[in-house]
Amino acid sequence: MSESAVRVEHLSFRYPGGPDVLTDISFTIAPGEIIGLVGPSGAGKSTLLQHLNGLLPSKLPEFVGQVCIDNIPVARQTIAEVRRRVGFLFQDPDDQLFCPTVFEDVAFGPLNLGLSDDEVRQRVRDSLTSVGLADYEPRSTLRLSLGERKRVCLAGVFACQPSVLALDEPFSSLDPRARRKLIAILKQFSGSQIIATHDLDIVVDLCHQVLLLDGGQLRAAGQTRDILGNVALMERHGLEVPWRLRPK
Amino acid sequence: MSDFLDRFGRGQSMCHRWPPFVKLFAAVAMILAATCAPITHGPLVGIVACVIFFAHTLARIPLRYVGRRLLFFWPTLFLMAISLPLSQAGQKGWLLFVTILVRGTLSFSTALWLVNVMPFDQLLATLRRLRVPDVLLAILSLMYRFLFVLWDELDRMRTARSARLFRKPSLWETWRSAAHLVGRLLIRALDRADRIHGAMLARSWNGRTRWIEPRREDQR
Repeated sequence: MSESAVRVEHLSFRYPGGPDVLTDISFTIAPGEIIGLVGPSGAGKSTLLQHLNGLLPSKLPEFVGQVCIDNIPVARQTIAEVRRRVGFLFQDPDDQLFCPTVFEDVAFGPLNLGLSDDEVRQRVRDSLTSVGLADYEPRSTLRLSLGERKRVCLAGVFACQPSVLALDEPFSSLDPRARRKLIAILKQFSGSQIIATHDLDIVVDLCHQVLLLDGGQLRAAGQTRDILGNVALMERHGLEVPWRLRPK
Repeated sequence: MSDFLDRFGRGQSMCHRWPPFVKLFAAVAMILAATCAPITHGPLVGIVACVIFFAHTLARIPLRYVGRRLLFFWPTLFLMAISLPLSQAGQKGWLLFVTILVRGTLSFSTALWLVNVMPFDQLLATLRRLRVPDVLLAILSLMYRFLFVLWDELDRMRTARSARLFRKPSLWETWRSAAHLVGRLLIRALDRADRIHGAMLARSWNGRTRWIEPRREDQR
């Protein structure tokens, strides 16, 4: 079996009583690879990301197919290991920051992993330093800017030392400076990443490959410039060719 | 909005410098005194009120700030208390009404003093050291964290509604749209609770919560 960080095979899913959200999705992500997940709103991007972390129960009859992280199939018995390996960044940082202080929030994951107190403190320090918020430990999570909140969320994810990052709209509503900081942080991460975003210029900058999702189906997959530079394909799926790939 | 209840929590007054346990026990003592003092003993209730007033002054919490928060609290308290004279005829009902109003006001003022001399995270850490059950602490922590998020959400919805109001609404319309807002907020709150639960699971939460202090040298 070839080495893959993420392998999704014939994944189909619908919420109970609802229409199909994902239909027969298959793809793989190699270790260290950065994948952009693009598509119009309601394409199923967030649902697909949630499957990577086992947040949608695979035992439902609405679930068909298989998702593997580092060749471990996502299942009830492996869910703890899968969640240790996949760091999930939610679109709205207020959903992810649920502790009163930055320290407690970043420590939440490592504490659940059963690490010793000293190890937890070290991981909190390291991950906050890696996102440029070294002295934020005692700060209240209520009194942070949106950019800071996103970075604290990312520190909380880094503190679990995942091998795969699943990021749901990480750049939405960020000002250019906060966006640049976040891009720089993501570029330093050595593991695999899958980034669902509408910001296609950042996809060109960051991602090696692109998956184009529309109506719950994988419509195209390939090299970033080949997919995002294809005017006809982009227009067919309600997207625009990013500025950097437009013909001069 | 996030500092509505504890704007002065990180002040530098004498009260702020007291050890957390002293602040917590002082607050509990004041609340006990407020709830135990018989309402018919005016001077005793007056002394308790003076002590609470003095505590606010000592902590440099402006009385105007306390008064404004009380204005938010009184309608709820009033609604709770008014049921007594309505259900119990005679002087006894009204005495209970006054008792609830006075005790509620004094207890609320004391709680306000506590969260303004001790930041909420410090309060939670102190309660944790006193071995208050984890579930209760988690509920308190989430409530404090998301009360303001939901309040901001309500505020945004109210602003959006006002932006589309082109005339002064009638009382009936005001109540009707307020009911819609509250219903919508409830649905949003449920959705958010779902997402927060997902975020907790994504970071390996298994139903048990473990806590540690930031640094050993910070423990007081």
